[in-house]
Amino acid sequence: MARAYFPVLMLLGFVVMNGFIIIGISALTIRPRPTPVKQQAYESGVPALGDARERFSVRFYLVAILFIIFDIETVFMIPWAVYYKQLSCFVPLVNDACPVGNISFFGLGEMLVFMLILLVGFVYVWKKGALQWD
Amino acid sequence: MGLTAPPEHRTVSYAPESQEGWVTTRMDFLVNWARANSLWPMPFGTACCAIEFMATAASDFDLARFGMERMSFSPRQADVLICAGRVPFKLAPIIRRIWQQMPQPKWAISMGACASTGGMFDNYAVVQGIDTIIPVDVYVPGCPPRPEGLIYGIRMLQEKVKNERSSDVGTRDEMEPDPTSQLYIPPSVIDELGEPFGNSVNQTRSGL
Amino acid sequence: MTRFEVVRTGASASGAEPATQRNVSHRGGEANPSAKALQEKFASAVERVDVIWGETVVYVDSTAVHEAIRWLHNDPSQQYDFLSDITAVEYRDAEVPIEVVWHLRSLPYRRFLRIKSQLQKGKPLEIDSVWDIYKSADWLERECFDMFGIRFVGHPDLRRILMWESYKEGYPLRKDFPLRGRFSRSEQLRQALAQNPEARYSMEELTIADAFAELPQDMRDRLSKGERTGE
Repeated sequence: MARAYFPVLMLLGFVVMNGFIIIGISALTIRPRPTPVKQQAYESGVPALGDARERFSVRFYLVAILFIIFDIETVFMIPWAVYYKQLSCFVPLVNDACPVGNISFFGLGEMLVFMLILLVGFVYVWKKGALQWD
Repeated sequence: MGLTAPPEHRTVSYAPESQEGWVTTRMDFLVNWARANSLWPMPFGTACCAIEFMATAASDFDLARFGMERMSFSPRQADVLICAGRVPFKLAPIIRRIWQQMPQPKWAISMGACASTGGMFDNYAVVQGIDTIIPVDVYVPGCPPRPEGLIYGIRMLQEKVKNERSSDVGTRDEMEPDPTSQLYIPPSVIDELGEPFGNSVNQTRSGL
Repeated sequence: MTRFEVVRTGASASGAEPATQRNVSHRGGEANPSAKALQEKFASAVERVDVIWGETVVYVDSTAVHEAIRWLHNDPSQQYDFLSDITAVEYRDAEVPIEVVWHLRSLPYRRFLRIKSQLQKGKPLEIDSVWDIYKSADWLERECFDMFGIRFVGHPDLRRILMWESYKEGYPLRKDFPLRGRFSRSEQLRQALAQNPEARYSMEELTIADAFAELPQDMRDRLSKGERTGE
């Protein structure tokens, strides 16, 4: 199984080596010619004014962090969905089907509990106004 | 302003036969071929010539076959500055600064009559040729030059690039404007030199 | 493929001729009714009314022109709410004074009016700014100042706009200004390379600038408390 990924490793090695070669040959052959004006930041030909480092509004961070949290919740749902058939059966599957009378809601209940916990968080975020852009 | 080169290159000592062996010439060939066929232009387009430049880059005349389809609007990644259009005096320090911010190797093409000599605009506002501000390698005449004309100019530049030699150590030096250099000509002397050509120093005709 | 039909509505629907004016006489056409209203209101200040190629020109005395333009802007029967252009003319004959020209349009009434005011050449060229009436006069008057040297009294920021701020050769569109400028080419180039447009601004000024007073109050509060990026 791992053998199938050997070409990926080769590609990765090639890419990394390529990067090193390009930068390495440039570093070894180039004679740097710095001048004061060349070192300055480019601002369409006018002398650069002020610092480029600005403070950003925190709502960008909020959007990113909320996305991460609910995206990971979704990611957790994927293997659960793959294994759902087995999870809703008290006994191991027979011919890929659950024998009659053994239906269980264990899998569903488990995931609903998980989602309920995150739902509480979601309602908190909503009420706190973190979903408002302005 | 006169120009200065780094101190180690101030005196020219050029004896190519002693420096060039087989490997050096093949390396030169390779490097020059690579540079000439992948010139990334910085289109400093200000006026009508910029439209012709865009036409040259478009499908009918196609700059992509010369490796020049990737326009760089930042001087940091550009090889050749193509000044297409008239340059007013207010824009002069900007084009000089952009030229100075381009890393070596760099070349400049002055496209059109206005960039080469000021064109039809012999007045108070237009620079009479960008070679008064930056060093130009190829001048392409025309108002505007046809795309074939610009391509001819680009081919000339490629010839120039291919004839560079690594044994010529001063080629890619950054020349900084320097009033103390030996090449500096004071403005009074420049005015005398330019006298017969209707410069405004002795201009007596005005609207009245 | 659907075919699109051109649907004409309104005056052109009947297939009539387009509404361009024809047979416009050089002089003596029908004047803009605002010209008569101006003459009635500012009888002493209005020097002359002309109709040239169908466009009405009113010559107003330079001391009263600001009042006249303000009245034209505010009066409900005039409502000249759009300032198209402010420019100046210097004629080739030396004895003719310099004229400052305002192009006013009334969008509700669909009228065009040209106001001209004469400034004598021997005296300093000063006239009242209409910036307090039309904000677009800001740059229009700066251009007029840059090219002719006409000072607009009451303008918030009268400095050069087309030439660089430290341009010393004069006012380019005056008739006594030589076509190629007064200095030699090398001197012009040296001065142009020495220009420094950012010299007048500090970083704090550039972030907020004069527009601070026009921001809404809550935004001013937030900015005063140090917020750097808002919506």
